[in-house]
Amino acid sequence: MKQHNCQNNDRLAVKMRSTNMSKRLRIVLAKVGLDGHDRGIKVVARALRDAGMEVIYAGLWQTPESVVRTVADEDADWLGLSILSGAHMTLVPRIMTLLREAGLEDVGVIVGGIIPESDYPKLKELGVARVFGPGTPMDEIVRFLRQHPRSHSSAEGAGKE
Amino acid sequence: MSDSLLQLIDRYRNKDRRALSRLLTLAARGEHLSEILAAASVPQSKRIPVVTLTGSAGVGKSTLTGKLIELLRRKDKRVAVLACDPQSPLSGGALLGDRFRMPTTPDEGVFIRSLSSAGGRGAIAEHLPVLLKLLAGFGFDVILLETVGAGQGDTVVRDIADVVVFLVQPETGDDLQWEKAGLLEVCDIVVIHKSDLPGAEHAEAQLRSMLELSSGPIPVILRVSSKTGSGMEELWQAIERAADSEHVRRDAGRELLRQVQEFLSARFVQLEEDAALQQLVADWKAGEVDLNDAARRLVDLLLTAGANPRSSP
Repeated sequence: MKQHNCQNNDRLAVKMRSTNMSKRLRIVLAKVGLDGHDRGIKVVARALRDAGMEVIYAGLWQTPESVVRTVADEDADWLGLSILSGAHMTLVPRIMTLLREAGLEDVGVIVGGIIPESDYPKLKELGVARVFGPGTPMDEIVRFLRQHPRSHSSAEGAGKE
Repeated sequence: MSDSLLQLIDRYRNKDRRALSRLLTLAARGEHLSEILAAASVPQSKRIPVVTLTGSAGVGKSTLTGKLIELLRRKDKRVAVLACDPQSPLSGGALLGDRFRMPTTPDEGVFIRSLSSAGGRGAIAEHLPVLLKLLAGFGFDVILLETVGAGQGDTVVRDIADVVVFLVQPETGDDLQWEKAGLLEVCDIVVIHKSDLPGAEHAEAQLRSMLELSSGPIPVILRVSSKTGSGMEELWQAIERAADSEHVRRDAGRELLRQVQEFLSARFVQLEEDAALQQLVADWKAGEVDLNDAARRLVDLLLTAGANPRSSP
């Protein structure tokens, strides 16, 4: 009986911890501008959900302004942009500026879609954490997000701007 | 209380939207609940109706919420939305896709937060009363709460909301399905959504004949189409009437009860490593104490833990 109880205790401890809404990654996924190809972003959304993250799917035809507002109101750790229209060198700089103006520079930004490799360094220079091209295994995105925790979502980081 | 939390609460009181957003995250995770509750004070004189939209998956809750936001903004009312979507029982992750169907233009008068909701919690996220308090204390005029696709038994929304709007759509099943729906007994308004589709009038007739057999108060029944906009204005008027009605005021004591429930669950989480609590739950699981005894002992335990100053409001 004693041993049985002990086992129950262990299980209880695990159960209580897992229901304690531990720090689950929150990521906003959005497509910006006039680009209707949303198959890729939906696959990524599903993969991140299956990896235990909270995915806020903002979907098609977002503006830089609306994306930044969504990131702020949802208190997201990450913003994932999918761009297949070729307009990334116009849209991404605008979004990075707006994020900074909103005091959201601690939010990580990743970009996916059709991006010429020659633009990767330019995007990185703008502050994009990583660009994922076509054919990226989903595990790679998940691993990247997990290995680069953002500081802002703890109570400690909560006060600083 | 840590400095950063104090600063955050200070900024929240000065209507800093980012601070509101951060506090919502902390509260949704169950962190610092009592401090946050204390910070979010709402003047008793101001009534901020909490309107719940519920109904099965695909019935149009997000779309209708989006249309209500537009209507309320035309009336110059500030709107906050909490949109719940289900959490995966396997990974704990969630795909929160409600705001996708809502207006996207940034607007100071609109705040939308997506929440994930674990299974078995009655179609809403945890710690919702604290989240609602935070939004009410920030100065929104109306709070819309969208539940996960809910079915027949999720009547817990009644305790949280001032007005419950239950959405159904044409071709939902035969009239026996209506007889089963527990939400019909607790809601204030039934919306037959997608009323531009054929069968809406028939659904209304079935619903009316069923509800007339009930002994309790009969909810308002409205046909609404988000597509054409028909019935929207009538819906808002019905919501306002329901928010002002007698039963909302009569149920005011429930708000106090809700706060007590939040305090108790916050303490339960704080005490998760407590040996006495673990022993009590283990004894109960092993069948050594019956449910009533265990519940009474748990309440005692949680109350005596009040000696810890961090957990007092």
